[in-house]
Amino acid sequence: MRKQFIIGVVAAALAAASLVATSSVSTAAGTDFSKCQNLKACGGMDALVKAAQKEGKLNVITLPRDWANYGEAMDLFSKAFGIKITDDNPDGSSAYEIQTVKTAPASKVPDAVDVGITYGLDNTNLFTPYKVANWADITSDYKDPAGRWYGDYAGVMALSYDTSIPKAPKAFSDLKDPAYKNMLAIGGDPSGAQEALMSVFAATVASGGTADSVQPGIDWFKSLKTSGNFVTALANGQNFLAGAYKVSFSWSFNGPGAVTTAAKAGKTVKYIIPTDAVIKGTPYVMAIPFNAPHPAAARLWTEFLYSQNNGKTSMTVGSTKGMTGSKIFSSIMGGQNIWILGGALPITFDAMVAKKTNVTAPEGYGIPKGVKVITPTVAQQDAAKTLLKAQWPAIAGN
Amino acid sequence: MVQGGRLGSQVFPLLPFFAFTGYFLIWPVLAVTLRSLRGNDGEWTLSNYTPLLHGSYLHAFITSIKLSLVTSIIGSLLGALFAYVVVRYAKGRFGAVLDSISAVFANSGGVPLAFMFIAAFGTEGLVTRVLKTLGWDIYAGHFTIFSFTGVVMVYSFFQIPLMFLVFKPAIAGLRKEWMEASTNLGATQVTYWRRVAIPMLMPSFIGAFFLLFAGGFSAYATARALTVGTVPLVPIIIGTLVDVNVVSDQQNLGDALAVGMIIVAGIAMVGYVWAQKRAAKWRQS
Repeated sequence: MRKQFIIGVVAAALAAASLVATSSVSTAAGTDFSKCQNLKACGGMDALVKAAQKEGKLNVITLPRDWANYGEAMDLFSKAFGIKITDDNPDGSSAYEIQTVKTAPASKVPDAVDVGITYGLDNTNLFTPYKVANWADITSDYKDPAGRWYGDYAGVMALSYDTSIPKAPKAFSDLKDPAYKNMLAIGGDPSGAQEALMSVFAATVASGGTADSVQPGIDWFKSLKTSGNFVTALANGQNFLAGAYKVSFSWSFNGPGAVTTAAKAGKTVKYIIPTDAVIKGTPYVMAIPFNAPHPAAARLWTEFLYSQNNGKTSMTVGSTKGMTGSKIFSSIMGGQNIWILGGALPITFDAMVAKKTNVTAPEGYGIPKGVKVITPTVAQQDAAKTLLKAQWPAIAGN
Repeated sequence: MVQGGRLGSQVFPLLPFFAFTGYFLIWPVLAVTLRSLRGNDGEWTLSNYTPLLHGSYLHAFITSIKLSLVTSIIGSLLGALFAYVVVRYAKGRFGAVLDSISAVFANSGGVPLAFMFIAAFGTEGLVTRVLKTLGWDIYAGHFTIFSFTGVVMVYSFFQIPLMFLVFKPAIAGLRKEWMEASTNLGATQVTYWRRVAIPMLMPSFIGAFFLLFAGGFSAYATARALTVGTVPLVPIIIGTLVDVNVVSDQQNLGDALAVGMIIVAGIAMVGYVWAQKRAAKWRQS
């Protein structure tokens, strides 16, 4: 409520700014960047970069800096192209992103969103079609044929633990050992939070079940609750630092960030991908709202995130003054590799491996070889949620 | 003219208040109620309310009411006792200091309060460690701060001082003369309490109890920060429905749950107002 009120108050003040933004949509060349649907239609990379630089700004939303290496992606983009990035509410949810697209004043609308897949499927009317240069490399299961949304990256369920514990876990099933009493936590209510839901899938597969029914996983958590190993604390950075838990099921793409944060507080965290269950999440999806206030920057950002280049990073990129847009673009590392470095699996990963354009994942974040990788389908996830809604609240007893 | 002018001078200073309550209370309640009566495609329907009557949503209401009842019983009994002891024995400046401390505690809540308890009573909390060195491992059995019991503990932290603040004036209002009068008429201490003091205090006590109940019922962040859906409270479920990454298009069910909460809180508030009236009547006569 209060947020809406503030938005209302500042709306008037921002109206002028938004007029300026809208008027810059068309360039002298006559390209309408809010309508062009691929790089060629936008006049090529040089023209796109030029127009984006003229807009000078990019609005992103709910991108935590330590999430999937987004901090590096934003820094590099900003430095290389000289475009200022505003990240609204970094810790917000997908629902918040969609709400903002619908209700924010024109100049505050995000230029691109990164949301859970159901939010992409349910809101296609909010997005404008745009197919990145590497469109063909995106797995067909995870893209809208019209190009209104497309998968970007996924995570793998990892086991993260404080290295000070006496026994380092190697597999999910190790956690039944009484040595882990009062140690295991997960990231939220599995009937609502995606990471927690995937934790239950991991427990299911690790105890011999399949993704069709998470009953074995629920039973597994129940027995660990009874034995006292599973603490129903919320697995987040703060509770970890307070010592509320020692081991948790975590998305691989939060690993590098979490390790750095913990190190600053004097704790050593290790992420491993156990072999008794390799659960790959459904990818998040990227989309450009049709009312993006900086349409050229939005398209450039998207091209950048889907680029498979291996080039300069935010630390090594020098001055790009006087360089053509395509020169800058090809000299810097692309988003797909930035995600790999962040412990995520970019959507064009298979194509990158085939083309040998992928960088090496940080140690411990690679998918173990020779193990079946399972991605629960949306239908399996819905069935799991129904089961969890009925049974999860009761597993804790009192 | 005169009449109108007086009306204007009465209403005008209150305009900011009306604007405030209108915007932050009446409008949201209306908006939530209207949305709760609409389906995903905007049609009028009562179907959002059917899930409230069984299964996990009903269970959430029961858990919420149980938690509020338990914490307001603990809070009101201990808070009342605390208030009595303070009125009776702590005079002057010491009493004032206790008032201020209670005001601070009564208004603490949310994620910081939850974190405070994790830091104190968590598996590696300070208090946990001290008790362990003294030979009592509170985590040896089934206790954990991340449970219904834990949430009750944390809620009591603000419920007890809130009761103290609300109930203290009532205890202070017990006049010495009444005790002397009843003693003069041959009453024992017990008779005085049973026939005079407790009946006098009862309306204030019940009123304060309802206030605590409503406060406990609507608290959200504290419980959410302490559990992972294992203590399913209604506000937490609403939060999951309205603002998560997985389920979409269930906002109207959240609105229906919110209306359910408004009704329960409304009943508690009616009880509070009724009790307050009774208490005021006592004081007047």
